[in-house]
Amino acid sequence: MTFQGLHFDPVRLPEAAERLRAEVRAFVAEHMPADYLPNSDFNEGHSPEFTRALGRRGWIGMTWPAQYGGGERTFFERYVVTEELLAAGAPVSAHWIADRQSGPLLLRYGTEAQCARYLPGIARGETYFSIGMSEPDSGSDLASVSTRAEAVQGGWVVNGTKVWTTDAHRNHHMVTLVRTDPGGDNRHAGLSQLVVDLHGEGVTVRPIRNIAGGEDFNEVVFEDCFVADEDVIGEPGNGWEQVTSELSYERSGPERFLSAFRVFVEFVRAAGPEPDESTAALIGRIASHIMTLRKMSMSVAGMLQDGKSPAVEAALVKQLGNDFEKLVPELLRLAPPVSVGVAGSALRRSFEQTLLHSPSFTVRGGTREILRGVIARGLGLR
Amino acid sequence: MDALLADTAERIFRDHCDKALLDAAEAGGFPEALWDVFSETGLHEVGSAVSGTRLADLFGLLQVAGRHAAPLPLAETLLANRLCAVEGLATIATGGVAPWGRRADAVLHAETGRVVTDFDHAPGTNLAGEPRDRIVGGTETPAAVNVVDLPELLALSRVALMSGALSRALELAIGYAMERHQFGRPLSKFQAIQHNLAVLAGETAAAQRAADGAIDALETPRFPDQVAAAKSRVGEAAGVAAEIAHQVHGAMGFTHEHTLHHFTRRLWAWRDEHGAESVWQARLGRRIAAGGADAAWEFLASAER
Repeated sequence: MTFQGLHFDPVRLPEAAERLRAEVRAFVAEHMPADYLPNSDFNEGHSPEFTRALGRRGWIGMTWPAQYGGGERTFFERYVVTEELLAAGAPVSAHWIADRQSGPLLLRYGTEAQCARYLPGIARGETYFSIGMSEPDSGSDLASVSTRAEAVQGGWVVNGTKVWTTDAHRNHHMVTLVRTDPGGDNRHAGLSQLVVDLHGEGVTVRPIRNIAGGEDFNEVVFEDCFVADEDVIGEPGNGWEQVTSELSYERSGPERFLSAFRVFVEFVRAAGPEPDESTAALIGRIASHIMTLRKMSMSVAGMLQDGKSPAVEAALVKQLGNDFEKLVPELLRLAPPVSVGVAGSALRRSFEQTLLHSPSFTVRGGTREILRGVIARGLGLR
Repeated sequence: MDALLADTAERIFRDHCDKALLDAAEAGGFPEALWDVFSETGLHEVGSAVSGTRLADLFGLLQVAGRHAAPLPLAETLLANRLCAVEGLATIATGGVAPWGRRADAVLHAETGRVVTDFDHAPGTNLAGEPRDRIVGGTETPAAVNVVDLPELLALSRVALMSGALSRALELAIGYAMERHQFGRPLSKFQAIQHNLAVLAGETAAAQRAADGAIDALETPRFPDQVAAAKSRVGEAAGVAAEIAHQVHGAMGFTHEHTLHHFTRRLWAWRDEHGAESVWQARLGRRIAAGGADAAWEFLASAER
């Protein structure tokens, strides 16, 4: 195969999407929790109150059919809402995974009954999902998962352990990748996805403390946990295809390059209206990256809107975006005279939060190394 | 850009711009045959009002030219032809230095808008060996040309040229990695090489998208910001990409015999012409700082409208 190039067609957001921008800003101003330090990392702020208010506004499940509580809006309208929330540093983690990933997965592969059961609650901002992919012995090598589901009368019995499961301790359900069949020589065969009740019998959730002192990811242990047939997503054995199809949604959004955005905002504030030449250049350099990544990310949104599955382009946006968002705190701390502020300042606190979480940026949702492999395959190298 | 136009330009450049022509141009010889074909097809008027093409087409044409390292002063000639009607080959001098001044019939001085003919020149080159000649004296035409946004247009010309050269550097690196065998297998099968090429592809795609976005913003209020962002981002990509493309090619790419340097040296030269990254970064950064932290996001989000 010869390299055909990667495609990022120019996209401009339609007027209907642009009009939402002011509405989202007004909403955030009204609903932002008091005394909350804005944080643009989608994983950081957890506020069921904020999420429910967002649901009431119709800004969760925006692209989904109305019969399941969705807004039947375009991917571009969703794009504006999500980027505005991230840029403002609003607490979005409660609904983020369900809105971005679990809902679209159910819409694509789930039954009508599953959609009717789960999607309206997600759209109202009341039902939260986790993703159960990684295991103690299966990280990037996802096809090696060993959590088993054995067929029994009326369903499946699950045994095994998932790790790094964000918010499993406070979410309601988890889309869980399990092995329903040994698979034989084809390691991608025999995998299935189940919706598991995180508060059900046979499920134990234990927090795992991260280097920032937070406990938002978890270990989830299944001991003879029963899952009914009606909670199998798609066809048993089709799990690999389903999991990989989620990734275009997961990898290309604004959350893949805006995680450090609030540090940038506080730096601009500290730099004042007339910074010196090198400080201005640093602000401009970071802006040039954001403007370019945003163009690329919007191009992918355009492809999703057209029903395409731009896996390689999405991996490329994530690779560039994650490396950039890690670079931001590194660049700012060495920028005299502003640097990253004094202890206790909003700039300093934003910087420290972001730096402490930055190792996760190039790990979550596919490591940098996995993404480079995906891109290399797209280039025809493997 | 118009597909027929792009195809025509692609065919002409592909037929003419081989290594022999690039080497000859670097030795100081103007590619007369290429210029004749180019102007006979009317491509030298792309972007000017009489031609029925858009300004965006001019920059689309430069992207194609960059892919082939076409050794003509195309950016300057096309922009000069758009701004003023001159006989023969026109070029533009910035700070008194003009691409292919030695061969030009008329020179537009970017700072003053004055057009001169019958001038002398002192020859010079950039680090890619492209003629950059100092223009001395000459006869001024009576009327000055409106050059109000010429610095931005010239910067965008380098953005367009670089995005084209980057796509070629990526192609060359991928092609070489596939054909070159070491340790009993093609370089492309080594993970370390694959990862470098993935980074190169990322920089190339970012540059392409930044260039397309800035071209798309022509004649809109945010054009200056889009050019600033693009010159900065594409210039950064040029440095990273040239480094990786050379590393993948090993010693072979360091030889004059290989064609890679026609593209990498141009990338190194073009990123510095009409304002290096830092110049445009500072311009963009000052605008953002002046608007204040709480308007920074709106500045970025509204740049595409």
